[in-house]
Order: sequence, then C-alpha cells, then structure tokens
Amino acid sequence: MDASQLLKGVLDVAVLAVVRDADGYGYDVVRRLRGAGLEDVGDASVYGTLRRLYQAGALTSYVVPSDEGPHRKYYAINDRGRSVLEDSTKTWRTFADTVDELLAGTGAAA
Amino acid sequence: MRPAVAEAQEYLAAVEQELADLPGDDRGALLEDLAQHLEALAGEDDDRPLSVRLGQPAAYAADLRAAAGLPASRGGAASSSVGLVERVRATAASWRALPATRETGRLLGDLRPAWWVARGYLVVLLPCLHAFDGVSDFPVPAPLDNHLLGALLVLVAVAASVALGRRRLPRPLELLVAAFGILLLLATFVAWDRSQVSRGAYLGAGAPMSPQMASEYPLLSRYGPVTDVFPYSADGTPLEGVLLYDQDGRPLTVGLQEWWADGCRRVLEHPQAADGGPVSWSFPQDYELAGAGQGIDGRPAVCDAARPRPEVPLPTFPPAPVD
Repeated sequence: MDASQLLKGVLDVAVLAVVRDADGYGYDVVRRLRGAGLEDVGDASVYGTLRRLYQAGALTSYVVPSDEGPHRKYYAINDRGRSVLEDSTKTWRTFADTVDELLAGTGAAA
Repeated sequence: MRPAVAEAQEYLAAVEQELADLPGDDRGALLEDLAQHLEALAGEDDDRPLSVRLGQPAAYAADLRAAAGLPASRGGAASSSVGLVERVRATAASWRALPATRETGRLLGDLRPAWWVARGYLVVLLPCLHAFDGVSDFPVPAPLDNHLLGALLVLVAVAASVALGRRRLPRPLELLVAAFGILLLLATFVAWDRSQVSRGAYLGAGAPMSPQMASEYPLLSRYGPVTDVFPYSADGTPLEGVLLYDQDGRPLTVGLQEWWADGCRRVLEHPQAADGGPVSWSFPQDYELAGAGQGIDGRPAVCDAARPRPEVPLPTFPPAPVD
C-alpha cells in the first residue's frame, strides 16, 4: 500500500500536532515529521500545508532574524488550530479504530 | 558562489516559473522561506542533485499548489484564457528565472554603492553644468566659481547619498528615490551635452554645431580656430590671392579675426567675383584698417595698414635633378 496516499489525508493533523509541540519554520517542520517516522512526507506538501493552515486561521506566524541568511518565518498554533486539531484527532481515532476493527474483524467474526 | 547555493537558486527559479500564474501575494508567501530551505538541503551531505531528492521542479510546484489549496497550473491549451496581467507576470517571472537575468541582477546589486557615490557627485555637478561661467566644472564642479566649495559639497553630498542608500526605506519612498536617480542621470546627460565641458569635443569631432558657432569658427586646427591662411610656393615665395578648396571641392572658409595685437580695428574685405559676389576663400584674407588710428576701445593706436606675414620656418627642398 502506498503510504504517501494515506499521508495526504492526515498531513493537516500531523503538521498541527508537530507545531503544537513547538513553533517551527518550514524546513524544521519537515525534519520533525520525518524524525517522527513519516519519512515519505513531501517537502512541497508540508510547505503548502503550512501556508493553507495559516490562511485558514489555524496558525499564526512570526519572523525571526537568522544569522545565516534571510529571516525565518515561524509558525505557531493558535486556539483555532488547537480546536481543529482536537476535532481531527477525534475523527482520526474513530477512523483508525474502525479500520483496525475491520482489519482484525475477519478473525474475530470467524 | 558555493555550488549548493547555485543549485538551490536554479531549482527555486524553476519552481518560481511554474508558479508564475499565481497572484504575487500567494507566490511570494509560498516561496518565502523556501530559498533558505533549499540551500540547507543542497548543502547537506548528499551527492544527489535536488531534482532527484525533491523531484522535478514542476512536480514540486504541483505538490505545493495542491497542499496549499491553490488552483492547479493552467498550462498549454488553457493559456489563451489567462488574463493579460497574469501572462505579463508569468513572462516577467520566466525572465527573472533566466540565469543571465539573475546574474545581472546580482551584479547591479553589487554596483549599488558605486551608484550612491555617483549620485552624490551628480547632484553637485548638475547645477554647475548649467552655468556658462567660463569656469571648468569637470572633474571638480565649481559652484559660485569655487572649486574648493565644489569639492566640499561633493563630499557632503556623497556621504548623504551613501547614508540614504544604506537605509531601508518604505516602498513608495524607495520608488521615489529611484525615480529621482533616473531623472538625475538623464538631466546630467542632457546638461553635459550642452555644457562647455563637452564643447571642445563637439567641435573637434565635427558633430553638428550651432549656426552661431559655425560662423565664429568655421575651421579649427589643433591649436584653435583658424582665421587666416598664408600660402607659399615651394621655393618660399609668398603667394597672394590663392583660392582654397577642401577635399570635397567646397570653398574653404575661416573664422573672422576680431582682435589684433596692435589694438587696431580692422574690417575684412573679400575680393569680388565678376558677378559681384564676395570670394571669401581667397587667401591670405584681406583686412583693412577701419578708420585711421582708431583703436578697438576708441583710444588712438599706432596702426599699420600693411599687415606683416608671420615668421614661418619654411622647409628647404633638395634641388631638382638636372636633366
């Protein structure tokens, strides 16, 4: 099964979760997602997702001067983002449990 | 430049080109810190090029659009429906993405401090070029005929201009300063063209002259305006009434001599042709005293009607072979 297709559906919640732990800039969020095990996560997808969540009002952003080059744009979760994450978490749990049951179900029903 | 930076910039340019149809705000926000990210990626210990690690720029741009919830690229057949503004913007972006354009942009950026210095200098030079005061304004401008004042003003203006250049200005003000700079440059070119500084070059190069200047000095030698010609034959005999023509067969005319070393006033008398027309290309020119003993400034002067020829070092030729 192609994990990248699954990722697309949960990227919003994954990104929100990472930013909830600590504010981050684009590349930093990519690294943390990969570090958490989502190795197939696409660079461009994360950038695009951060931008869309920001425009939807789920993230705020601020700029931090960098010694190495241009300023970095950090993203931080806000109340709206937290409630989105909460809802999405519930949805994910229900969904994951359902799929788990479904996958295990053949054995249980037998 | 480090190869990593170059690679990142190339990749970024290609992605930027793919996003060229997006409104400027959307594109800017998407690409905002991507450059830094790509540079960091390219600098990592990984020999594979970015296009292998991240996929082709077109695919990257498509992912970016999809994830950001932006419309997919309208390419190919649909391009005719794209608005003019967007197409212009896309063209501009593809221009900016060209390596030559980026390189030129970088070079111009490097030259900015030089422009700041030149701007300060020109601000002082320009008004001086307009004043026909007979004082040289180049290279050191002389406001109020004073070169020292000019040098001081140039120093102050250059310092102010550099200080202005180093400051970050709000966008509208920045545009205003840039427009002023272009105007200053154009005005200097125009003023330079008309100024005394370039006049010498004008005449020497045979560029178009004003009618007034042409009548004053129709012929110039390396020593200045020519007002007369004294011909001699090869054996040293002074010649009179010689008609001179230029390489195209046009009569050679010279300037009018207004001032004489003895202070006397003279008028130019041309010999007359049969039809009564003056022959101004007959040399030497024939100057007659205007009123006996009448000086230029009205005071009596000792004047000699016979005008001596100048002393000339005549060459001696070898004797002609006898047949």
